[in-house]
Amino acid sequence: MRIVRQAVLLLRSELRQELRDFELLLSAGFFTLVLLAMFYLSFASLPVKHSLPAVPAMLWLTIAFVGVLTLTRAFDREREADTLRALLAAPIERLAIYLAKAALCLMVLMLCCLVLVPGLWLMFPAGSAFADQPGQTALLVLLGCGGYVAIGTLFAAGLATGAGKNTLLFIILYPLTTPILMYALATTRALLDHHPDLPSFLGQMAALDLILVALAALLFETVLVGAGPNLSRKPAREGRPVRR
Amino acid sequence: MRKILPDLCLLAAMPLLVYSVHRVFLETPIERQMGTAFKIFFFHVPMGWLCMLMAVICGIAAGVELRRRSALASAVALAAAEMGFITGLGVLLTGPIWGSATWGTPWTGDARQVTTALLWLVIVAYLLLRHYGPRSSDRLAAALAIFGAVNVPIIYYAVKLWKTTHPSTGVVASLPPEMWASFWPGLIALALCSLGLFGLRTRQLVLADELDAAWVRVEDNH
Repeated sequence: MRIVRQAVLLLRSELRQELRDFELLLSAGFFTLVLLAMFYLSFASLPVKHSLPAVPAMLWLTIAFVGVLTLTRAFDREREADTLRALLAAPIERLAIYLAKAALCLMVLMLCCLVLVPGLWLMFPAGSAFADQPGQTALLVLLGCGGYVAIGTLFAAGLATGAGKNTLLFIILYPLTTPILMYALATTRALLDHHPDLPSFLGQMAALDLILVALAALLFETVLVGAGPNLSRKPAREGRPVRR
Repeated sequence: MRKILPDLCLLAAMPLLVYSVHRVFLETPIERQMGTAFKIFFFHVPMGWLCMLMAVICGIAAGVELRRRSALASAVALAAAEMGFITGLGVLLTGPIWGSATWGTPWTGDARQVTTALLWLVIVAYLLLRHYGPRSSDRLAAALAIFGAVNVPIIYYAVKLWKTTHPSTGVVASLPPEMWASFWPGLIALALCSLGLFGLRTRQLVLADELDAAWVRVEDNH
């Protein structure tokens, strides 16, 4: 309960900061629109039977790209002001920091999906199933984005504590999030096909999300601050290359 | 004894590897349905198993590294990832050749192919992070290795969980005796070779670490 209260407090602070300049939301929303326009210009002439497998790919590729932008920007703010160290030194649970950051990124991604999903529905006839099943579409997008953000927050936070090199997030995140994105892709295809097993697909995605959130929450503190003093390894001097 | 164990593994692997190649190509009968292409099986399957083994070793060592911040565990994880990279590359190269000859296409996109490719990508990401990441990224890389190890049971059970074109997990047990007799020397030779190289690389990484620490001590004394 204490963790939830702290996470809510931190999330409120994040939202207050975001509401001052809308930087995260505007940059992610604009990027979503740009990607949507690019997909429309590239695939508008596709016949319906070909756009059926293309629409899920467009949806999840956009989320993958916008997700990295969101995660990078969310932690860049901390890096610029060196506030992540302050947060880690504060008397709060580290898990609350993880939950607050993950919730913020999830909210931004969900707001981007408010543009993305209706956009795909309007631009491609194959996307009409999104309008036919709004509840299931919302659940699908929430579960897909949730799994993505669960892993992404862990690694974005880990890179934010280092000096520079946050471009490595692209290298780490895409191989790791591919399983959840593939699952989301298959589930979206089932939704567009009005497949009777859709609830089962959604259940499996929810289970995968739970595993990812649990694993990321378990590793968050260790990844960010380590497990204890390093007695066995002395730091190399500056100017001397560290052998690998 | 511990120090020369990797060298002994490599020494034992050499004649066994020659014997295995001789046995597979000259003494094993050609499979009726798949023809000569089936001989890839004798190298593809052991490399797949070794890739998964290395990913598990890397994940466990990374877990120990995170828990105890041990330099030895860090070296073991890196050496295992490097061997996992090589054996994974072997699997991903031999698989499509075999698939092209038997299925008519090098890549069917079935669950085991995709999950193996993903594991290999995670190993590559781990190595990139270890080599080019900032100094604090070792912990991050360790977390990545743990996620990679979680992928291993998914690869193993992929053929049971989803409909795939891949042979099932019991294919090795169902081999006829003459093929069975050719499979084991190859598996043991490749395993000895991998473990020998893994041991040598771990030792080299530990020595490099000790050399760095000695250098810092000398600088501190001056």
